[in-house]
Amino acid sequence: MHIPDNYLSPSTCATFGVAMLPIWRRASLTVKAEITRQKMPLLGVAAAFSFLIMMFNVPLPGGTTGHAIGGALIAILLGPYSAVFAVTIALAIQALFFGDGGILALGVNCFNMAFIMPFTAFYLFKLTKKLFKNQKGEYIASFLGGYISVNVAALFAAVEFGVQPLLFKDVSGLPLYSPYGLAVSIPAMMIPHLLVVGILEGIITVGAYSYIKKASPDVIYKGKVSKMKYFYIIMGILILATPLGLLANGTAWGEWGSEEIKNLLGFVPKGLEKGFQYNSPFKDYSFGFLNEYFGYILSALVGVIIILIIFKVLGKINLKRNIKGD
Amino acid sequence: MVPEWLLVKDNYIPKEEKNLYIEKSIFSLIKIISIIRQNKNQDKLVYSINPTLKVVSIIVMILCVSISRSFIYLFIIDIYMLINFFLMEKKLRKRVLLKSFIFPLVTLIALIPSMLYGNIYNSLLIFQKLIITILLMNLLSHNTKWSEISKSLKFLFIPDMFIWIMDITIKYIVLLGEHSINLLFALKLRSIGITSNKYNSLTGIMGNLFIKSYKMSEEMFHAMECRGFIGEYTTKVNLKLKKMDYAYLAINILLVSLFIYF
Repeated sequence: MHIPDNYLSPSTCATFGVAMLPIWRRASLTVKAEITRQKMPLLGVAAAFSFLIMMFNVPLPGGTTGHAIGGALIAILLGPYSAVFAVTIALAIQALFFGDGGILALGVNCFNMAFIMPFTAFYLFKLTKKLFKNQKGEYIASFLGGYISVNVAALFAAVEFGVQPLLFKDVSGLPLYSPYGLAVSIPAMMIPHLLVVGILEGIITVGAYSYIKKASPDVIYKGKVSKMKYFYIIMGILILATPLGLLANGTAWGEWGSEEIKNLLGFVPKGLEKGFQYNSPFKDYSFGFLNEYFGYILSALVGVIIILIIFKVLGKINLKRNIKGD
Repeated sequence: MVPEWLLVKDNYIPKEEKNLYIEKSIFSLIKIISIIRQNKNQDKLVYSINPTLKVVSIIVMILCVSISRSFIYLFIIDIYMLINFFLMEKKLRKRVLLKSFIFPLVTLIALIPSMLYGNIYNSLLIFQKLIITILLMNLLSHNTKWSEISKSLKFLFIPDMFIWIMDITIKYIVLLGEHSINLLFALKLRSIGITSNKYNSLTGIMGNLFIKSYKMSEEMFHAMECRGFIGEYTTKVNLKLKKMDYAYLAINILLVSLFIYF
């Protein structure tokens, strides 16, 4: 997921670099307040740890090997703000000294892997842990943290690639940088991440977390999730980004209507002809009376709210059960 | 009496493991450590240029290259890169070259479908730019002391704390890397043939590594305190320029003005 220079336009890189500035500032303030002076060297050593995690070759099905990023693991072990620091430094060293990932693209890479990934992983871990309050819940939580956070980070990278040909064209309309649009970049990034990389990241996160939990539980970050603010910010960015789907031609992979299937296959499979016409309250994610873009944002917002309500209800049920158990 | 089954020769031939993940991990760790450890005190020309000047001019050049749309300018930079490249030590050349060409080539292959749609000029431009930027960074990391590179970041308004942590990180990559090589060797010695619980043993090593790094950082803090460190770390930018450096500066100004011209 290390984006090299010249895949993205310099202006994209600058934008993300600027976006990272407040995050870095906030992280350094929080870390200073949160960590005693005694633990300051830990940041450097943790960065070395996060660098080395990427060096471990893990066997994959089919006889090849791959490596995990470890952003989720560090976020769970050290807390999200320290993780921002540690991963940023690991990425900076890779860019400066090993030529992995670009210098100008450092801001973008940090945004994906040092901000989005640890924060998603950490809050997801805490949320899921709240829902299942037993030992197993922790393992499920750490797996989900690893799996989903790496996928969200990959999605961000894919979108960053995908918008390039839409935004930056030369005089004759040819793309200047990464030439593939969202319709190509999203499946190209997401399919391997959903199927292989995410699972790998999840397994590594669970394995290392459960080992440390058994061997030396007192080193794990214990900061409370007092504010879910950042989680909501990430959700907000995702919601605002939903109309990007409109820029891409064609429908999402696997979400074809019967007419599109006809175009793709040349015929409509019989079972699909009348098939599964499900009348959703928001057809094609739009509200008719609204502009298409706002419709998308509103649909995403409604979806997120419904999911949050479900989570809250589940949490309540779980809480009641726990009280009864006592 | 020795029981009979102890005297029978055992003909156990373990099935060979196909994916040598332990060896691969050991190999990549050794590679990293050897890159960090290599001696950069040569008295060749490029090694003696002021590191701050080098870092700043390379970043400026990367910026120019990524904005530029002219093949002629990129071609001139290519020639400049080649001259730089041949000023390097012989045994390093191969390593740098290999590292800098694999990734652009993969990209070029990935760009073929887009080229078939007529996007040839821009695709070749990307390929060219990728080679230049990756080669630039690799040359920098191979011909400059890393501690000097991180010090010169101060010139780019990077805070001291960040530079301090980065210095610690580089040192501890070596220490923790050696520790994990030992762990991996221990795992290798103890696993014969096909191992079914690969993930368990690998994640165990990672967990162990984390606990080890936690302990090391505590030890480091005590060591620093014993030596009177109060938690403030200031670096000074090395800006003493020699004759050589002025020549280097002149070349770089020339290249930037060429960028403006084209």
